[in-house]
Amino acid sequence: MTRLHPGLAVVAAALGLAAAFDDTSPTYISAPALAERIMRGDATLRVFDLRSLADYNELHIPTAVHTTVDELSRTPFTGTETVVLYQLRSFDAGARASATSSLRLKGARRIYLLREGIYEWIARVREPRLATDATPTERAEFERATLFSRFLGGVARTNVARSEVPAGYWTADVQLPAARSGAAESKALQAVLQVRRRGC
Amino acid sequence: MMPLSETGALGADGVLLTAPLIGFAFGWFLERGGLGDARKLTGQFYLNDLTVFKVLFSALVTAMLGAFWLDRVGLLDLDLVYLPETWVLPQALGGALFGVGFVIGGLCPGTSCVAAAAGRLDGLGVVGGMLIGVASFNAVSGWIQPFYESTSLGAVTFADLAGISRGMGVAIVTGIALAGFAVASRIEGTRS
Repeated sequence: MTRLHPGLAVVAAALGLAAAFDDTSPTYISAPALAERIMRGDATLRVFDLRSLADYNELHIPTAVHTTVDELSRTPFTGTETVVLYQLRSFDAGARASATSSLRLKGARRIYLLREGIYEWIARVREPRLATDATPTERAEFERATLFSRFLGGVARTNVARSEVPAGYWTADVQLPAARSGAAESKALQAVLQVRRRGC
Repeated sequence: MMPLSETGALGADGVLLTAPLIGFAFGWFLERGGLGDARKLTGQFYLNDLTVFKVLFSALVTAMLGAFWLDRVGLLDLDLVYLPETWVLPQALGGALFGVGFVIGGLCPGTSCVAAAAGRLDGLGVVGGMLIGVASFNAVSGWIQPFYESTSLGAVTFADLAGISRGMGVAIVTGIALAGFAVASRIEGTRS
């Protein structure tokens, strides 16, 4: 062991310890988990839509209130609320930090982001899809999603081509791959966009 | 803003050009660190040379702390970094199979390529075995698909599963790594 190693260990320990006190890291909630909270009437839930007002008026998550980051920074919280923020798709680092920092300054503690925004809500709750060759696990998840969809006024679709349902999509909290790529839209996002284009 | 590949800053050609450069650099550092030597690698299983543990855990902690803090200061968007999905049982079985192969062959996939590139016959043997394994998996992939896709947890992290913040997860893993380094040094000290 050289004299450098203890120094590096101290640096790592300092950075690791500082990370423990960093409270701006986002916590995500999946669309089905959010739907479940809405269905059971979670009184602590406060959902905020950060998209444009026109988009909000066209379609929004039940119980969601339209707002902006500026308005959020003026909204008081008691710390007991479960706050969920969403926008069109995923939050980039700047928007995420801006929104969550404002909330924390106003007293909010339990802050969740809907990972893939309104697109995840449409694809996983409002219009869940079941591929023609779905696995038993996918069918079980689809049944669960169908309950949400019925309750919240959506339409579940069966016998959908596999290409319209990404692999593993109904089996877990999987990110839509297109949200990461940014460039070419993947089949997953194409499928969701088709829903959107039909005026959902 | 990073990751450069996802934000399009590198472009498709840039990504293709960068990948082999990173691969060569990775191989070079492995070789210079002595990790192309099967005896050194298997030493960790007999607790007489814990270089692999220390090198790989150092890399893990460096990458984790770097990624976390770059994200924190807004230079990297961690949500754009690919997060592999978790399938508990298939990956547990795969890990066990990997470990058995590692002990028998003395090399893992990356280090076998390094050893082969350095002209070691055992490295070539392990690379050959790895290719046979890939072909065998491909041949039976349809048959084992139900198991392969079972026990899915999705793209989750240790922090997600534990219900703690990402920062707390980083702190815990850092603490485990530092404690591991201390224990490894003590073990090596008693055996030298």
